[in-house]
Amino acid sequence: MHKDFELLPHTADLKIRVYGTTLEQLFRHALIGMFQSIGPRSKNCKKKGERLYCPQLPQQHDITLQAHDLTSLLVSFLSEALALSDIHNEAYLDVVIHELDQNHIRATLQGVPIEGFEVVEIKAVTYHDLNIKKVDGAWQTDIVFDI
Amino acid sequence: MEKEKQIRLENLIKISDVLWEIPQEFRQDMRVPARVFANQHILEDVFEDRSLWQLVNVATLPGIQKFAFAMPDIHQGYGFPIGGVAATAIDEGGVISPGGIGYDINCGVRLLRVSMTADELKPYLADLATEIFHAIPSGVGRGGKLKLNQEDLAKVLRDGAHRMVELGYGTQGDLEYCEETGRMTNADATLITTTAKKRGADQLGTLGSGNHFLEIQRVDEIFDEKSAQVYGLEKNMVTVMIHCGSRGLGHQTCTDHVNSMMPKMGQWGIQLPDRELVCAPFKSPEGQDYFNAMAAAANFAWANRHLIGQWVRDSWKKVIGDSVKITTLYDVSHNIGKRESHEINGKIKQVIMHRKGATRAFGPGRPEVPSHYQPVGQPVLIPGTMGTSSYVLAGTKESMEVGFGTSCHGAGRRMSRVQAKKTVRGSTLRQELEAQGIIIRSDSNSGLAEEAPIAYKDVEDVVSVVDKARLAKKVVRLKPLAVIKGG
Repeated sequence: MHKDFELLPHTADLKIRVYGTTLEQLFRHALIGMFQSIGPRSKNCKKKGERLYCPQLPQQHDITLQAHDLTSLLVSFLSEALALSDIHNEAYLDVVIHELDQNHIRATLQGVPIEGFEVVEIKAVTYHDLNIKKVDGAWQTDIVFDI
Repeated sequence: MEKEKQIRLENLIKISDVLWEIPQEFRQDMRVPARVFANQHILEDVFEDRSLWQLVNVATLPGIQKFAFAMPDIHQGYGFPIGGVAATAIDEGGVISPGGIGYDINCGVRLLRVSMTADELKPYLADLATEIFHAIPSGVGRGGKLKLNQEDLAKVLRDGAHRMVELGYGTQGDLEYCEETGRMTNADATLITTTAKKRGADQLGTLGSGNHFLEIQRVDEIFDEKSAQVYGLEKNMVTVMIHCGSRGLGHQTCTDHVNSMMPKMGQWGIQLPDRELVCAPFKSPEGQDYFNAMAAAANFAWANRHLIGQWVRDSWKKVIGDSVKITTLYDVSHNIGKRESHEINGKIKQVIMHRKGATRAFGPGRPEVPSHYQPVGQPVLIPGTMGTSSYVLAGTKESMEVGFGTSCHGAGRRMSRVQAKKTVRGSTLRQELEAQGIIIRSDSNSGLAEEAPIAYKDVEDVVSVVDKARLAKKVVRLKPLAVIKGG
């Protein structure tokens, strides 16, 4: 099985490394990594190890975003998910990506209502160390979140 | 662009036991030297992360004046290090950079004085801590009791803590003894996006999570009798410290403006070594928009701390009765940008002062300081880490010359949250703190572990550097009686 994301050490914030065989998978794993690493608590789901598993993801939001370049697009995508999470008290543990290119994404976020996050609250997605690149034929990037 | 490398002792010039300089020659794109306030012990930690390289990056900002400064609680951030200070001259193409202020706009500290001694409080402390824990939402996803419609929210964004007094919360005294009286007048509520407003609508009166907290404390030791007297602080007096910021509204505002400035850097001909230093000339429309939006978000944070202060009063009244007087000593911001005048090379210049994880420390006689405090300078409120001491300092006259009238903001992290959780067990920590007689009200042991004192620099060390460097002087030390925090 391909690795989707992992947690990295960082002095004051939260840092993950995200992998994807395609650009869509990279974006999807970034979203999953962001929410799973902060420990969402939802009574409709079960915790297995470090991750939350939900039989259904009934909360859906369609989003369409434009950005200057791919890096900004990833930041905007995750920032939008974060904002919706804060407004609706939900966590998005999957996404269906309908369209994706260097400057544009159209997708449907899929999530659950949550009672809170066990680990920490993310304040923002930063550009720090964000470098989307291909390593051994697969996509990879680090993402640092301000917490 | 030069490849990033670890900065070591041999790259620094020792100015004094508590002040070190990275000369401008260190890197070709530096416009000024960089200076860090630290002792040798603190420097050892600082060399372990990228904060000094980040400070060198700050020194490349257009219009930057004198030095890129770092306070002794410096640690790695994104763009600016935490504890970073930069003044850019408005009339010399000086820029404003959201990263130099932080995502949590106007994260800051409020300190309340209570007319009780720690001994008088003791029988009520546990019940009071429980009452406050329930009254003031903390932790993630906990909405506030006050839900604002769009019109009310716009007024709070425009008038900050002043609006809360109009609505019947808190006192005029709470305004007088607050940086900017709790309102920056350049705020423009229309510049706060709908998304940011939606996030903020039910977050007024909430602490948030992470390193935000509310602490009931006692005055443990007095170092400066005169200043303590002017501040109305006596030994064993009870105080309440509130540490929080602008919540989702502020975070979104910074995100929005970082995203909007990013693609425009080319048009201003600004080249930066780090994207997170993204900025705009202060005089540009984007620079003005960010400054005025930042002020609105800052006003939200002041309204927040003001409201929480009033709810502390309400909780006290409920548990103990209404004979107790609770007044605001002061409220300071440690993530903010200000228009200030400073003497630079013999001339008075208008600058944008960026303080990110750094606190203003204006001295005696400054007009920005409440008149009652002018003889001794403004209070500087330094929260310690959980279970350790906090401090009240006073700004000094020398501070303007030495460090743009700035002090540290806390202890500064030295260990990641991941590492802290591996090193410390939250439940053990809770027991240790309780064994010291400190009451904890928190619903997350994991959140506690990450905030363990071992994960931070020694606050005593940080404050002693600030004092020795004459950035601010020690007035009192506070010790915790109870800690209330979210996950």
